[in-house]
Amino acid sequence: MILIVDGLNRHRYSNLIDEMFALRARVFKDRLGWDVVVKDGKEIDEFDSLDPAYVLGLDDDGHVVACVRALQTTGPHMLSDVFSDILDGEPPLRSPTLWESTRFCVDTDRLSGGKSRNSVSYATCELMAGSLEFARESGITDIVTVIDPIMNRVLKRSDCVPYGYVGSTKPMGKTSAMAALLDCTEERINRIRAFAGIEGDIFVDDATARALEDGAETPSTATMASEPAQFAPEDAKATPSALQAWCQEQLGAASSTSERTAALDLVATLQDAGMIPEGTLSLNKV
Amino acid sequence: MAVIDLSKRDAPANDLRQFLDTVCDTHELDYAAYAGVNPIAQTVHGFVNYPDEWQQLYVDQNFQHRDPTLLAASRSIAPVDWKRLHREESFDTIFHAAHDFGISKQGLTIPVRGPYGDIGLFSVTRDCSEREWQLLKSSILSELQAAAVHLHDHVVQSHDMVRRLTHPALSQRETDVLQWIAAGKTQQDVGDILAISSRTVEVHLRSSRTKLGALTTAQAVGRAISLGLIHPG
Repeated sequence: MILIVDGLNRHRYSNLIDEMFALRARVFKDRLGWDVVVKDGKEIDEFDSLDPAYVLGLDDDGHVVACVRALQTTGPHMLSDVFSDILDGEPPLRSPTLWESTRFCVDTDRLSGGKSRNSVSYATCELMAGSLEFARESGITDIVTVIDPIMNRVLKRSDCVPYGYVGSTKPMGKTSAMAALLDCTEERINRIRAFAGIEGDIFVDDATARALEDGAETPSTATMASEPAQFAPEDAKATPSALQAWCQEQLGAASSTSERTAALDLVATLQDAGMIPEGTLSLNKV
Repeated sequence: MAVIDLSKRDAPANDLRQFLDTVCDTHELDYAAYAGVNPIAQTVHGFVNYPDEWQQLYVDQNFQHRDPTLLAASRSIAPVDWKRLHREESFDTIFHAAHDFGISKQGLTIPVRGPYGDIGLFSVTRDCSEREWQLLKSSILSELQAAAVHLHDHVVQSHDMVRRLTHPALSQRETDVLQWIAAGKTQQDVGDILAISSRTVEVHLRSSRTKLGALTTAQAVGRAISLGLIHPG
């Protein structure tokens, strides 16, 4: 699922933003060897202080597994400054309906191969579709994106081949970098969605967004226990292991006898329903 | 920061007010407003086509210091639908007051960031059903984005110093594309000649228009010729 974080809501998602900076550090410093500054395990540059928009790809547990950063090309952006090499010293494109996308990356450690929901391929396509849809809804027609040759190949293989490039490919760290052009048309978005099998709205709904916020109240165990119906077996997200982990969390988080009782009731209900195997939770942990 | 009402000034400023009226007429909007933050002069340049009484009240109440359609929206890169600002403090205060002047709280602000840390905020309103509003928005947003940047650049460039310090910096590719367009070639032709896709030609053209402060390609060609960036025909 996709979450847009910008200057208006950033204060509510600082944990997710920190996860994103950590992912960027692992990808751009460790894996690609780019000349980026990493401090406290986080890769942050001067453009992060310009209130960019971040498009975050989250896995089912709410962790950041993919991210990209967008800036307007009318103002300061990377191609007009640090990536000017790529443009062979030429001035960058400047247009009200063209955004620049940078720091596009996915978490290859957390994600698997293949094309499942948990794969690098799916996460890449979902992030790409999410950014193009976000841009399109903002009246943006095209995106110039700074990528490495591997990402360029991924785009081509995902039926999202760039329609053009500006400047030329330049060595950068262990790889190289280039600036590709993508249109935000429905056709392109549909092609990416079809390739990855993405259906429906990919943006997080309001309830999920609130649950992801820093300091958001987790639903009380009592409420959850009274509505076991929402864990209907057809709910694809409620896999035994995820449920199990969640129950363990609820038990651990219980701060009073009544909360703990409610959590235990819930565990019993779920075990009765055969949704989590019996005897797998450490019920004595307080 | 002081609000400078450009619409009460001489000729060029009146053009700006007219520009707002035209945008409203063209895109079925009720009102339009522009506020530009100049980081050097520490001023807000504003002009609007709201009723005069509302403008007066707005300035008297110093709403510009707490108007979320300006302050919050300036932190976005995407157009901000005012629905997103309902939770902001002072949104209700301002729009409750605005309601008395027939100004709807249904609107959006397009933030423009310029190269010198300058920020422009272009707002429009329209009183209609939610469904109509969504349809209208999706059909006019690209054009409103272009209008917003055009307006903002115009205001920033009207500052003498800025105009003297800057001149349009076209890339070689943009110059080539404009030169071939000036020679009467179509976009498709230019793409074939330069061995790039037609959409790449379009992106370079749009960028050239923005840099030259032109709304149309014909204007852009004219300006590029007069600046000596390309040769006539």
